[in-house]
Amino acid sequence: MVRFWEQRAKRGIVTEHPEWEEEMAALRKGLKKGIHKHFAGSLAIRMVDSGSCNACEAECNALSNPYYALERLGIHFVASPRHADVMLLSGVMTFNMLPHVLDAWEQIPEPKWCITLGDCPLLEAPFTQTYAIEGPADTHLPIHHHIPGCPPTPEEIIRGLLEFLKTLG
Amino acid sequence: MTSSRLIARYTIEHADHFEVITRYADTAETLHLPKEAPILPSLAAEHPAAIWFERKMQDDFSLRLEGTWDTRPLVQQEHFPHNTHPLLTSFDATQSLTPISAHPYPYETVDGDGVFEVPVGPIHAGIIEPGHFQFFQAGERILHLEVRHFYKHRGIEKMLEGTDPLHAWPIVERISGTESLAYQIAWRDILLQATRTELPESLRRYHALLLEMERIVHHLTDLGFIPNDAGFGAALAIASRLAEDARRQLKTLTGHRFGFGAVRQDIPAAYDPQQLLAWVKQLEQELQTFSDWILDVPSLWDRFDTTGILSRDDALTYDAIGVVARASGLPLDRRDTPWYRELGWECITETSGDVAARFLVRLREVAQSLTLIRHLAEDAAPVNTRLGTIEDGRYEAFAESPLGELYLTADLKGGRIKRFFVRDPSFVNWQVLHRMMPGNIIADFPLINKSCDLSYAGNDL
Repeated sequence: MVRFWEQRAKRGIVTEHPEWEEEMAALRKGLKKGIHKHFAGSLAIRMVDSGSCNACEAECNALSNPYYALERLGIHFVASPRHADVMLLSGVMTFNMLPHVLDAWEQIPEPKWCITLGDCPLLEAPFTQTYAIEGPADTHLPIHHHIPGCPPTPEEIIRGLLEFLKTLG
Repeated sequence: MTSSRLIARYTIEHADHFEVITRYADTAETLHLPKEAPILPSLAAEHPAAIWFERKMQDDFSLRLEGTWDTRPLVQQEHFPHNTHPLLTSFDATQSLTPISAHPYPYETVDGDGVFEVPVGPIHAGIIEPGHFQFFQAGERILHLEVRHFYKHRGIEKMLEGTDPLHAWPIVERISGTESLAYQIAWRDILLQATRTELPESLRRYHALLLEMERIVHHLTDLGFIPNDAGFGAALAIASRLAEDARRQLKTLTGHRFGFGAVRQDIPAAYDPQQLLAWVKQLEQELQTFSDWILDVPSLWDRFDTTGILSRDDALTYDAIGVVARASGLPLDRRDTPWYRELGWECITETSGDVAARFLVRLREVAQSLTLIRHLAEDAAPVNTRLGTIEDGRYEAFAESPLGELYLTADLKGGRIKRFFVRDPSFVNWQVLHRMMPGNIIADFPLINKSCDLSYAGNDL
């Protein structure tokens, strides 16, 4: 246990990430302002997987690791759609998930936004149309913003969320 | 007692009959069912894990099951049209289905005074894939759990029919993202067999190294999330940092954080074993520190020990595989070959079958994977294997994914995929999950479930 605290003290904070921190610093100003303006300082996201390969989920989980620490930007994932501002939708829209996705969307109070995550929801991934896939997600839901990638990296997800905030003016 | 471990049961359609193949660990059996009366004798009594395979065949091919108590639909949910069997040749893959008004799914039932049910899902509270869990409770204690999946069913098997096997890579590697490299290695082996191509040793070593990288990322993620589900967030902070480091290493190696597109015919020119070994050394030290620390947190082990026990007998009866089986004392691992043994590989098992055992197996396997990488990383001369032409036939391949044994078969005809079948390790292990539940409190379910960390996408296809 003593060795653990020794190591802990030695390591310090890893969250500073020089490769893109400089750029982030510039973006963060706008981000904070955006989140303050539109979401009273806290943007709540409900993540819904409608048929992904699970890589998008893994990258969203990575957003919480100490390198990205997404919550420091005022963005957090919530357990209930009723607590959410945004639905983040990953995966192809399967026949079996469609009613449940629509149900979750229904539960999100207005005003609400839907962001598609990764290439799957808009059928831009290598998956081809089958009986089990219900067309691109925008035929079922109003999609306000799209974050491309297969899967989008944590950086790309953060950038995508920033771009989304910009679209709100 | 079951004679031999059941790996998979699946169907291939022919002009006048259905061929049902039952693959055991050491043998395979074939049945021919006439199309006018496709009645399949069930193996459910002997191999409970056969149940999902058989219900799937009933949905996919209209086979009728005999000698089983469970003939409910599996893949086809409430709104799925009746008399629709998508894997029949006569069914057009791209046609869209017209949803029917919901016909309720008959869940299993448990009767008794004060027994109540807790339905959970398909959408869960965290960032996690969708699936349904139906709990049968007596107070806080779980009596029984029914796992109901296939919400994510994308129709992968049908999607790949008629595809050129050489062009199937982008789909195969995205069936289950966190097991992508295992899927790619299994598909590689199918293509090598079909083209009668020898795999150069240096390429075999490079791919084996990537597979261990995938295992390290996967297990490190679990080593954080399992304690987190017992309310010990500090472990998640540390292990998720190590997992991120490993994922970035995988990106340095393959150009992709999940290794999509990594298992092909060549070793990238940028492959730098020395850089990789420097990271291995660093992670070995960090893992030792993490291990010393976490093994010494009594309140955590109080939650882990005796929680979610899968007995060795149950693991055998249900044909469990992977980390789940190894934590219950069964030495089952597809790496159990002379080639791996020469690299110093040994099967890591625990005997207590609880959350603690599954955590320890993962912890020890990360250390072992690092040792394997030490032996596998070497300066590699550039290779470029040319695949010959595809020869028709039926091929099968295995790989040990981070979850367990992956089984993949392809029936090739006219240079195209006639039938693609894959059995993700999760497909078997999901069926054994309920055996870990009786007597545990419902609040421990996330902990038990995470200790198995199964794939929904690979299961649902």
